[in-house]
Amino acid sequence: MIKFTINGKLVQADQGDMLLTVIRREGIDVPSQCHHQAVEPSGACRLCMVEITRQEWDGWSKFVTSCLYPVEDGLMVTTHSAKVIQLRKTIIDLYLARHPNSTEIMRLASEYGVTRTTYETVADGDDCIMCGLCTRICAHMGFSAISTVGRGHDKEIAPPLKEAPTDCTGCLSCANNCPTNFIEFTRDSNSLTIWGRTFETLACSQCGKTTITRDFAEHLSKTRDIPIAYFEVCDDCHRKETAKTMGRVVNWTREVQA
Amino acid sequence: MNFRFVVNPEVCTGCRTCELACAFAHPHDGKPGKSRIYPIDGGFKELWVPVTCLQCDDAACVKSCLVDALKRNPVTGAIELNREMCVMCMACVAACPFGCALLDPGQDAVVKCDLCGGDPVCAHFCPTKALSYVPIEKKDRIAG
Amino acid sequence: MRIESVEQLRKLEKKYRGETESHPVRVHICYGPGCLANGAQEIGDRFRKVIKEKKLKNFKVEAIKETGCHGFCERGPLVVLEPEGTFYTKVKVKDVEAIVEKSLGKSEIIESLLYTNPADDKKIQRYKDIPFYAHQKRIALRNLGQIDQTSLHDYIAAGGYQGLAKALTAMNPNKVIKEVELSGIRGRGGGGFATGRKWATCAKIESDVRYVVCNGDEGDPGAFMDRAIMEGDPHTVLEGMIICAYAVGSTQGYVYVRDEYPLAVVHLQKAIEDAEAVGLIGENILGTGFSFHIAISRGAGAFVCGESSALMRSVAGEVGEPRAKYIRSVVKGLKDKPTVLNNVETFACIPVILSEGGKAFSKIGTPKSTGTKAFSLVGKIENTGLIEVPMGTTLREIIYNIGGGIKDGKPFKAVQTGGPSGGCLPESKLDLPVDFDTLTEAGSMMGSGGMIVMDDATCVVDVARYFLSFLVEESCGKCVPCREGLYQLHQSAVRICEGKGTDDDLEIMQHLSDMIVIGSLCGLGTSGPNPFLSTIRYFRDEYEAHIKEKKCPAGVCTALITYIITDRCTGCLACIPACATDAITGKKGQVHQLAQDKCDRCGACYAVCKYDAIEIH
Ligand SMILES: Cc1cc2nc3c(=O)[nH]c(=O)nc-3n(C[C@H](O)[C@H](O)[C@H](O)COP(=O)(O)O)c2cc1C
Ligand code: SF4
Ligand code: SF4
Ligand code: SF4
Ligand code: FES
Repeated sequence: MIKFTINGKLVQADQGDMLLTVIRREGIDVPSQCHHQAVEPSGACRLCMVEITRQEWDGWSKFVTSCLYPVEDGLMVTTHSAKVIQLRKTIIDLYLARHPNSTEIMRLASEYGVTRTTYETVADGDDCIMCGLCTRICAHMGFSAISTVGRGHDKEIAPPLKEAPTDCTGCLSCANNCPTNFIEFTRDSNSLTIWGRTFETLACSQCGKTTITRDFAEHLSKTRDIPIAYFEVCDDCHRKETAKTMGRVVNWTREVQA
Repeated sequence: MNFRFVVNPEVCTGCRTCELACAFAHPHDGKPGKSRIYPIDGGFKELWVPVTCLQCDDAACVKSCLVDALKRNPVTGAIELNREMCVMCMACVAACPFGCALLDPGQDAVVKCDLCGGDPVCAHFCPTKALSYVPIEKKDRIAG
Repeated sequence: MRIESVEQLRKLEKKYRGETESHPVRVHICYGPGCLANGAQEIGDRFRKVIKEKKLKNFKVEAIKETGCHGFCERGPLVVLEPEGTFYTKVKVKDVEAIVEKSLGKSEIIESLLYTNPADDKKIQRYKDIPFYAHQKRIALRNLGQIDQTSLHDYIAAGGYQGLAKALTAMNPNKVIKEVELSGIRGRGGGGFATGRKWATCAKIESDVRYVVCNGDEGDPGAFMDRAIMEGDPHTVLEGMIICAYAVGSTQGYVYVRDEYPLAVVHLQKAIEDAEAVGLIGENILGTGFSFHIAISRGAGAFVCGESSALMRSVAGEVGEPRAKYIRSVVKGLKDKPTVLNNVETFACIPVILSEGGKAFSKIGTPKSTGTKAFSLVGKIENTGLIEVPMGTTLREIIYNIGGGIKDGKPFKAVQTGGPSGGCLPESKLDLPVDFDTLTEAGSMMGSGGMIVMDDATCVVDVARYFLSFLVEESCGKCVPCREGLYQLHQSAVRICEGKGTDDDLEIMQHLSDMIVIGSLCGLGTSGPNPFLSTIRYFRDEYEAHIKEKKCPAGVCTALITYIITDRCTGCLACIPACATDAITGKKGQVHQLAQDKCDRCGACYAVCKYDAIEIH
């Protein structure tokens, strides 16, 4: 058990826990844009930075990203020091200049009282804040269908060669976890299109409701040893089937007992 | 002592108390969540089956999750979904052959039965004891 | 043939040295990057041809050595006749015949090819007497120019692998680390971290595998110290790595070579193969039972790949992006195993530290920055090139004694050290000793050793803008303060250069810089605002002139200057065709007119005017 303080309050955590996890567990609101429990922390957005010090540092302190700083005995963490707030405001200010139309960024800005950007608005700034969640999640799912392209200010997210990605299964995990809803996809009655590639969606053999894509289902079936037939019925109809099957069994015992 | 969640459809009256109890036991933002249990018509006269997760041994949901968000709680035996880790790919929803991993559109999250952390509320509220959470007896365990 | 023991290596050294010294004259042709670009290859070919034709007695072709960079690139191509040390500069293919005939055949000296000392206009024959060399002390660069660049024979003849031999047979790993600690050497790649301490930490971590990695990414524009060493003396880098491996208990090493250095890859590859063939790399080195392998890893072509965590990811085959970790790479580095990462120059010093002793090394330089440091001296300076001086040498000594002062006798304005994220120091700081801590305190840094000298025709705001643009390009784009912050900082600098700066700009830039420094993920970001921070510290008035008076005092920022034709104009007509926008009109013999509204401020007229009649305001 590791003991340390957050904003003066003594807390406990397990070895290997990251500061952000403990901070949030304590109900303290520290913003983040690039953090997701499913994937390794990356330290890209820098919003989760906190100020840390120790008794023996004699008043010296430093700034670390709490999402990837492991807890340490005797650490003294301040989540909202003046410098930390300045830093978060500056990051939000920079975001605002780059992504002036993003509602998520506007929400964050209003939370931190940043009303307009100090900097030059970037002419063609889109909503991708380069948090890297989409690519990291995609890689973690085992697909690596998209990645970052280029570097610096022009860096962007794209499939290889910007062509329809062959490794994509259309699971939508990238789009579902994009903090600014930047990743677009469209659905049709029996298909789904993302990253310029169109996928066939499976339809429930009972009611016709569409579920996941055929590519994703086949991938799961193959790599995870799940009968493909499981994917041919939607969850509602699966429950109904279950009720019918059990109903028959119960009815049979009823009749036998009668 | 180990417990087991037992469903006895014979005495289920389809009153849907369990459904309500479950929804209130899993609230979010002060509102009831999506229930993880559904009494469904069994296809015969006065026969209702409360359908919920069977916490399968070789569970399809666990196998389908590519990010390990579904794990069995060694104490309760329930397969729990770690919402912080879930990436909303819907694999488990599609894979479960009993339809017991569900999307809760209200809170934009995937949910499933977690046996309420070891004290299933539905069983408490079931007026006919069609649902019960009972200690596993020795001979049961041997038989199992 | 394998060298099975240290005794055998000693014998070989003697034999090889004897062989080298048996040549009455050796022709050392500089094959360094600068001289190669100016035709060294053709000169070498010509030498071999002419010597064959002339059938010189007493002269064997083996006495022609293709050496690494001599450093005095300004005067290349260079040909040095050893052991006399006769130093021929700016040699051309057509000079070869004369050199062979006179200098090789009859030991005559060709005056016209000698270096002329600008101070007294006298010719200097031996390179050791030339001020550019006389003030240097070479440790890392010791073999450059002295031996054939890829020859193991020559390296051994020059005492190579003796440091390794001593380490392997007379010292245990701990003692080797102690020796390196005693030398006081600090990393030459920029950070200045104590090398001995790094090795000691790595050796202490429990692990089945440890790695030794050499950082040869050298991304600083204009810097070529590491390139010169890797190309011109690859064995010294390998020897340094093997010693390190023995000290920390590693069996696998990697040299990470910048993608733009294909020749370095070829030379290192040859050196590795040659060393493997004789048992200096591989299993059971020198019959001691110690084994170590080295592989080359090609850089990914980005500046940021030189940063330690990015480099390790790149070596492991991942995207070369810095990884934020609060665990140091000595503990968890390449493939998450304890790893020693050192710069090329750092490794190049290690063999000397072992053979001459750490104590001797520590006596050179200053107490806290021991030894020597290589610099690539460029910019508006008479003698550009590659130099190595004891730490603590002052900037003035480097610029005036070695560098020969500012080009064309112009006034000095600033010296930029530390690469793109280093800083600019003014005249008042010229007497500072060059060492890690002094430079950092002054707001610049040692960096990997780039040194750019600027004269009074340089606008520091423009310089800051330039370096910021480099960093914006090279930022990996992962973290917000660096990606967006440096971009905005650069935008502000551009605005100021264009005369659109406002009074608030400097304050906003200062605040943004502070935030980038504390908020960025890796060293590129945390040192990224330096070009601005160091220039605003010493040249604030110049920023203010741009903002308040809309003037560029150095006459560089085109938006803020006007060209004016004064009455010194003789009406020679030269500038009229030079102007691309037809802004100049006039008749022969009469003062010309310049239409400001048409002027593009390209400076073409200024450059062609022979009468200094055009002024910049
Ligand atoms: C953006 C950036 C670029 C760097 N580039 C280089 C480089 O090209 N060569 C180098 O040796 N070190 C470079 N470094 C420093 C390395 O991270 C590391 O500190 C060094 O290689 C360690 O070796 P040393 O202790 O021998 O100096 C760079 C650091 C940063 C932050
Ligand atoms: S597309 Fe969305 S998830 Fe991907 S990097 Fe951009 S903001 Fe992040
Ligand atoms: S929806 Fe969530 S829990 Fe279900 S498989 Fe996907 S990531 Fe796992
Ligand atoms: S500081 Fe710059 S180079 Fe370093 S990780 Fe951040 S964006 Fe990349
Ligand atoms: S959440 Fe920690 S840097 Fe983004």
